[in-house]
Amino acid sequence: MTEKLSVEALLEEARLNASIPPPAERLRLREAAKLSRAQVAETCDVGRSTVANWETGHSEPAPPARLPYLRLLKGLAEIYPPDSAPVPAPASVPAAFTAAPETLRGPDGRAIEGDPGPCIRCGIETTYQSTDGRPLHSGAMCQPADPAAPQTTPPAPAAPAATTPAPVSPTPAPVPSRPERRARSAARAQADTTALITRAVQDEAERAGGDEEAALKALIKRAIPDVMHLFNETRATARYDYTAYPAVPDVLKKPSKKDPDQIWEARPKFHHPGYSLKVPGDVKVTALDVNAAYLSALKCWLPIGKLEHSTGTDGVDPKRSGVHLITPGEWAHPHLPDPIGDRDEPGALWVTNATLRLLQRLSGPKYGLTDAPVIHESWTSGATENFLDALRKLLSAARDEAIENNDTLTLEYVKAMYSKFISTMGESIHNREMVRPDWMHIIHSQAYANLWGKAYKASQAGLDVVAMMGTDELHLTGDWRKVFPEGRGVSQMKVKHGEGKATGEYTVGTVGSVDR
Amino acid sequence: MAGRWMDLGALNARGLPGADALGVAIERMVTGIASSVESERGLAARLNYLTKTDAGYEAMDRAGIHVSPRTLMAWLAEERIPSKANRSRLDAAYWDLRRRNVAADFKKRLNNHGRGTRVEINPVDQTRVEGRHQRDLSSRSLNVRGVWDRAVDAWMNDDYEELDAVWDDIIEDLGSEYDAYSNVSSIGWAA
Repeated sequence: MTEKLSVEALLEEARLNASIPPPAERLRLREAAKLSRAQVAETCDVGRSTVANWETGHSEPAPPARLPYLRLLKGLAEIYPPDSAPVPAPASVPAAFTAAPETLRGPDGRAIEGDPGPCIRCGIETTYQSTDGRPLHSGAMCQPADPAAPQTTPPAPAAPAATTPAPVSPTPAPVPSRPERRARSAARAQADTTALITRAVQDEAERAGGDEEAALKALIKRAIPDVMHLFNETRATARYDYTAYPAVPDVLKKPSKKDPDQIWEARPKFHHPGYSLKVPGDVKVTALDVNAAYLSALKCWLPIGKLEHSTGTDGVDPKRSGVHLITPGEWAHPHLPDPIGDRDEPGALWVTNATLRLLQRLSGPKYGLTDAPVIHESWTSGATENFLDALRKLLSAARDEAIENNDTLTLEYVKAMYSKFISTMGESIHNREMVRPDWMHIIHSQAYANLWGKAYKASQAGLDVVAMMGTDELHLTGDWRKVFPEGRGVSQMKVKHGEGKATGEYTVGTVGSVDR
Repeated sequence: MAGRWMDLGALNARGLPGADALGVAIERMVTGIASSVESERGLAARLNYLTKTDAGYEAMDRAGIHVSPRTLMAWLAEERIPSKANRSRLDAAYWDLRRRNVAADFKKRLNNHGRGTRVEINPVDQTRVEGRHQRDLSSRSLNVRGVWDRAVDAWMNDDYEELDAVWDDIIEDLGSEYDAYSNVSSIGWAA
């Protein structure tokens, strides 16, 4: 304090202090300039931890170090105005990736773990290290000081649930039309299960040390065991046990590794005969995509036990499910996709219960679109529609949340979980926890049946179905937004963009006369 | 095989002896070259696998492939293609060797550091059995340990009697009803 401060200097300090940026902004400015805390600390003649406290808001700058610090901040603010770089949002995972300065990496690019110690940035214990050997959360994955951060507030189990609304409700809150029946303990259990997903994402993000691609790869690699674990968690208090390794009837056996079994999943491949891409014309068509079609299809009637054989209509019961040998009625609606898919050969075929339910609905008095299918024989077991519902709700809630937070990592992880769950639940060397090819087929055809329902809905609203393909593709004429809500939610539709001519919005010509 | 269920099917129950089911379930764990021996890729991969070690040559011997070193070199260099009979022998030799090689891994996985593996046992299919003869059998799931080395060895050597003895050891843990699980419709495990 040898230097005597002039009045001007004091005034300047007061002026600057009046507009001092908030702690997060101080941190941003310093990081934007790639200055270390030590550098700032030396300039201001204080300790490194003091600077850290200023930047976390634990303390405010005080004289005599305040003036140089304020001057520094002002200068930095001129160089790096607030909009030039994204303000580091409190630790949503992808944002954290943008600031990944100095993590110690192994040759494989993964962060190396060492002795645990308090992180030099946030003070919370970590095993990861910075390049100079001090403890540091990898890839700037520091636990945020901000209490609003979503992932770091574990639900306090002791606190009464009424006062802790925080632990993100896994189900999108429905409009309460009847009193809530679920116990609070159930909600808490569900929140715990949801935490498994967020924790997995956080772990892998941290281990990858800021490399989002590596984190995603690691997450996809562990998707199958993880989803099986989630599934078992949702079954923890289940009322009955399912058969994971039932004796499989011959129709469900694959003759060799590469040949398919005899089940027809009714995969659609429909093109309206009245429209053609090859004919010039100006009929506007929009290619639409169902969001997470297989995820929604987890809600379907699944046989619980081993499939048992029955002949005639004996095996057909609302409370049973499985596979059926049927002869479908004739389909006489060229402008609507055949619910049985693009089958070339006539005669009897093995379909799943999901397809049979659709056909029976369509032959009923409400639709009256076709004759009832003739059922020859069935392999069925007692069924429930809620079997995978808890898992579906869980994944769907995680998906919605990830979309809302723009969190691609979680989004892709969830997608890998449900799609791999379905594709490996049959016979797969990648998933030995269950061998249920019947479930796989039923879920697939449920997705196709759901798509058919959407096509029918559009057709009823006066739009023409130009094409219906695969699991989730629907091409419609006219204003589809009147029929379906647009968005990325599971009940919404989005415009499909991709390679080729028939994507997004395109035009087709008419062939002959389009009559409906 | 234990007990009164010697005569499976007398009352129209359908299933298979537990020893068979055990063999099938171990067999399901085997992985290997997916391409068939009839494809160029599958044939080359099999020849490669069989000529890498001495055990490979022994496996070819056992499968009845007795060709001159020159012929073998020509096969490996893809100058000549083995005859149909030799192709099927090569396939047999490959899977024989493969089973021997994976056996050690199976034992390790099934023993699971002494913790064993949980086995799901599904009872025989009684849908065609007359009501008064039907027994109330449910699916059972039990942790099996200590027998896996014997089981895998017996499976590898096609020793049906030993597999049967192993199965009897396994179902004894099911309690008083173990007898009813001498025959099963299927068993399975994740290992």
